[in-house]
Amino acid sequence: MLDLHCEMILEEYREALPELERLEAAVAELLRKTLGESGLVVTAIATRIKTEESLAGKLERKGQKYTSLEDITDLVGARVITFYTDDVDRIASIAEKLFEIDWANSVDKRRLHQLDSFGYNSLHYICRLPGFAYRFEVQLRTTLQHAWASINHDSGYKSDIDIPREYMRRMNRLAGMLEMADDEFSRIRAELTDYRRRVQKLVQNGKLDDVSLDGDTFRSYLQAKPLDRLNRRIAAINQAEIQDAPLEGYLRVFRALNCKTLGDVNRLINKYEEDAYLLARHQLGNTDIDILSSAIGLQNICIVCILSSGGGKIGLERLFEALNGTNPQNAALAEMTYEKASSLPFMK
Amino acid sequence: MVTTIEQEGNNLIARLSGRLDTAAAVQTAQDVKPLMEAEDKVIILDCTNLDYISSSGLRIFLSIRKEAATHRSKVIVRSINNDIRQVFMMTGFISLFEIQ
Repeated sequence: MLDLHCEMILEEYREALPELERLEAAVAELLRKTLGESGLVVTAIATRIKTEESLAGKLERKGQKYTSLEDITDLVGARVITFYTDDVDRIASIAEKLFEIDWANSVDKRRLHQLDSFGYNSLHYICRLPGFAYRFEVQLRTTLQHAWASINHDSGYKSDIDIPREYMRRMNRLAGMLEMADDEFSRIRAELTDYRRRVQKLVQNGKLDDVSLDGDTFRSYLQAKPLDRLNRRIAAINQAEIQDAPLEGYLRVFRALNCKTLGDVNRLINKYEEDAYLLARHQLGNTDIDILSSAIGLQNICIVCILSSGGGKIGLERLFEALNGTNPQNAALAEMTYEKASSLPFMK
Repeated sequence: MVTTIEQEGNNLIARLSGRLDTAAAVQTAQDVKPLMEAEDKVIILDCTNLDYISSSGLRIFLSIRKEAATHRSKVIVRSINNDIRQVFMMTGFISLFEIQ
């Protein structure tokens, strides 16, 4: 049962609802637009207006704390969830530019814990937007922090006082574990970024034998466009245009060809480049086809490598399987490619 | 050159018949326009009765693929004859399309 003072705040809330709805829409649009343009991975942006029922509950618990509706800072709330703790800080700095922050009432709950305590982790900013009378709350947290907070909220306890000690201890134990997991995810991401930079440097410096072959390193290698010269020679046969095609699928092929490092891949490309060009000239020379995919050079190198090392039709069929998956067309493609190439020097 | 388009469940099937050469390309590009706007569909280019494809025809296939990618659709090329298979092979188009 609310007293008269709280009933008056509730009445004020009902009258303020249209403005709160406008505020919620403005906050949501600003966050979505700015974070969308930021390039940061945001897993969710949610906004809400406090329901009358929830406000009444709050007033019942601590109504005397508020002199008017304007004192309540979470009538409109926004929540941004991201994968990494580092990104929470980046989004916080974006929020600081977007909104006027009420620093006196904002709190970084991640830093509130004592050295030996764990629990709710989230960054809460109390903000203002020009043209609106009411403040609003922006909560920033990681996916793991959000999972913990949601499950804790699901327990139904609204304050620390009425939480059973054993439940609190076990939830806090989990919070500590999730904090470690969050730190580890951030560390893994940082190390992966470092690894990619190191690989790019090795590729740029031509130290390809020092780089083992995997999805990341192969992508870095392809960024250096090692097939451009061959593709341009092939395109020149019929003055063809070249359309970009994905080449990542060839990683499986190079692995099957026993390549362990980018150096192995590069040697294989250099070794078979001339024959790959001859194969293309043999196929395209008497046609008027003037459009090619950028996969043509790599495709022909693999074909020549397989055929010149005695892989035959079965080897070609496996190549097409690696590129296109299991498909009845692969045998026909292999048969046709084998026949076409049979008169070329590398087959002898 | 005749092109018909039918919808079967989530699939849009374009049946191409005849010779897709430079002369037929302008009309075919018009005929396949409905495929370009298809959202979240599997677009099947049924080539059972397609006898020939020129560079102009390949460009139409490529446009369909590009538009499909922007509309979260997927393109499958179905039942190509030996001559067209050879064209796909020698141009590297087998890396661009799923061929069934």
